[in-house]
Amino acid sequence: MIEVNQLTKKFGRKKVLDGVSFTANKGEITCLIGINGVGKTTTLKAIMGLTPINKGSILIDGETINKNTYEKVAFIPDAITMLPQMTIKQAMQFMQDFYKKWNQERATELLTFFKLDEKTRISELSKGNTAKINLLMGLAIDVDYILMDEPFSGIDIFSREQITEVFTSHLIEDRGVIITTHEINDIEHLIDKVILLDNGIVLKEFNTEQMRQEEGKSVVDVMREVYIG
Amino acid sequence: MNVTFNNRDPVYIQVVRYFKEQIANGNLMAGQEIPSRRELAAMLKINPNTAQKAYKEMEEQGLITTERNYPSKITTNENILHGVREELIVAAVDSFMQSIRPLNISIDELLHIVQEKYSQESSKEVL
Amino acid sequence: MKSYIKLVNFEINRFIKIYLTLLIITLLSQFIGVIVIAKSKMDQAHEVMGEQNLSEQAYLHDYGGFTFAHFASTLWFVGPIALCIIALLFYCLMIWYRDWFGKNTFAYRLLMLPTARISLYFSKASAILLFIIGLLAFQLIILPLENTLFESLIQDNFLQTSMDVSSILQSNVMLGIILPPYFSDFLISYGIGMMFVFVLFTSILFERSFRLKGIVFGILYIIAAVLLYLSPLFILSNETYSVLYSEEIFAIFLVLGILITAASIVIGNWLISKRVLV
Repeated sequence: MIEVNQLTKKFGRKKVLDGVSFTANKGEITCLIGINGVGKTTTLKAIMGLTPINKGSILIDGETINKNTYEKVAFIPDAITMLPQMTIKQAMQFMQDFYKKWNQERATELLTFFKLDEKTRISELSKGNTAKINLLMGLAIDVDYILMDEPFSGIDIFSREQITEVFTSHLIEDRGVIITTHEINDIEHLIDKVILLDNGIVLKEFNTEQMRQEEGKSVVDVMREVYIG
Repeated sequence: MNVTFNNRDPVYIQVVRYFKEQIANGNLMAGQEIPSRRELAAMLKINPNTAQKAYKEMEEQGLITTERNYPSKITTNENILHGVREELIVAAVDSFMQSIRPLNISIDELLHIVQEKYSQESSKEVL
Repeated sequence: MKSYIKLVNFEINRFIKIYLTLLIITLLSQFIGVIVIAKSKMDQAHEVMGEQNLSEQAYLHDYGGFTFAHFASTLWFVGPIALCIIALLFYCLMIWYRDWFGKNTFAYRLLMLPTARISLYFSKASAILLFIIGLLAFQLIILPLENTLFESLIQDNFLQTSMDVSSILQSNVMLGIILPPYFSDFLISYGIGMMFVFVLFTSILFERSFRLKGIVFGILYIIAAVLLYLSPLFILSNETYSVLYSEEIFAIFLVLGILITAASIVIGNWLISKRVLV
C-alpha cells in the first residue's frame, strides 16, 4: 500500500499541496484527477523522492522511499527518461545492469505487444511510443506499484488503446497503479478508485463501482458536483 | 464482443446483464466455456477487479460454474437458464409497460402495432 | 559498489567520443607541430646562414642551437593541452546539466536507480578524475615520441641538448603545472584539483536543488571554500605567524583540503539524497 499522509509542498510561498492524504492499494488502479494546474505530478514526484516535501509523510508498504523501494515502485513521467542516442535494446540493457528485478522476458513480451523494434533509437520514438517504452521500462522491473503521469495526454488513439489494453492484461496483475489525468474518458471503466484534487487538497476520494452502485453516479457526475458545484 | 457500458450503473452489474442477454438469445449455451476474468477484462476494456466481481456475482446467481483450475462454464441447470430468459423478458416488458400505460392504448391496438413492428424489424435483420 | 563501477563505466562511455577526439587533436597537433616547427627552425637557420654568410659553427655560436623546449612553447604543443583543460572544466558542469537539460530528462532515470544517490556524485567525480589521468598518461606517452621525432628532424649539430622527459617537463611552465616532475607535487596539484571538482559539484547541486536561490548558495559556497583554503596565506602574511616551518604550512593546507573535500561530499550527499529536484 502507498500511504500519503498530510503531504504539504510549497513552491516559494504558494502551497501546491496542502495536507494531501490518500492511500493506493496493490491490485487497484487509483486515479488522481485535478482539472487544473499542478499538484498531481508533484504528488507522484514526492512519492518517488524526486522533489523534497515540506510536511507530511509517504510510506510505500510501510517504508519511506529509499534505494530499495526503487525496485518496488516505478515512475513513468510524461517525458523521455532514456538517453536519446540509445537504442531500445541499449536502454533495456541499462535497466538490466542496474535493477536486480529486471525481467527481460517480460520486456521482450511488451516489446512484441507494442510492436516496437529494439533497434529503434529513443530519439526516433513518437510521443505515443515514448509512453509505451516508459511503461515497458517500469513494468519490466517487476515492480509492485506503477505511477504514471498523464499517460494519455497528447498521444495518438492507437497508442492509447494499446496502453489501456496493458491495464486489463496480466501485465498489470496484482500491481498497484496510480494514474494522474485531467480527463477521464476512455478509462472510466478501468479505474477502481478516484481522488479528486483541487488547489492542493483532496476534495473527494471514492471507489468508482461503489459510487455507481450506491449513488448511481458516474465519475464525471461526481467531478461535476465537486468541481462545479 | 462489443458492449457499451453506461457510466452510472455499476460495471459489474452491466457485465452480468450482458451475459444474461447472451444466454437468453442463445449466443451462450448451456455448458459453454466462457473467457477467463482477465480475457474478459481485456475484451470489454474494464478493470480486471470488476470482471472478477461480475464472475463472482454470476457464480452466486448460479449462472456459471467454476471448478478449480478449469475455465468457468455456463451452467447446465435448465431451470436457471430458463429463469434468465424469463427474467429478461419480464423486465423488458415491464419497462415497456411503464412507458406505454400512460398513453391509454387499447390492448388490441397495441398488440397489432407490436406485431407489425416486430415483423418489420425481423425482416430488416434478414436483409 | 557494483553500481558505482557500472555508473563510472557509463559516465566514461557517454564522453568517450569527445574524449577520444580530444586525444586525437592533441596527437595530431603535437606531431604535426613537431614536424612544422623543426622544419621551420632549420629553414630559418639556413636562411640566416645564407643571408649573413655564416658557417654552421658561427651560426651556432651566435644564435645557439635548438632544443625540444623551443617546440614545447609553441601553440602546436600548448594549444591542445589548453583545449583539453578547458574541455574538461566545461565538462565538469556538463556532466550534471546534460542529465537535466534538453528534450530528455535522464536525471529521472539516474535518481530512481536502486542505489545510494551519492554513487552518482562519486561516479561523476571519478569519471572526471579518470579523464584527467588519462590525458596526462597520454601526454606522457607521446612526449618522448615527439622528442625523438624532433631530434631526428633537427640536424645533429643544431641540436643544442638532447632533453629527457623530466627536463622537458621542467622547461615549460604549463607542463610544470599539469605534470609536476615530483610525485609529491603531483599529488598536491591534483589533490587541490579534485577538491575543486568536489566544491564545484556541490555548488552545482545547490543550484539543482534550490534553482535561483541555489545559484547564490552555490557561488557563496565556492567563495567560502576558496577563502577557507587560502586563509593560511592571509594569516601567514601576518608577521607573528611567519615563524611556521614549511612542513607545518603543508600540514595546514593538507588538513584544510581534506576538510573542504569532506564537507563538500557530506553536503553534496545531503543535497542529492534529500533536496535535488527534477
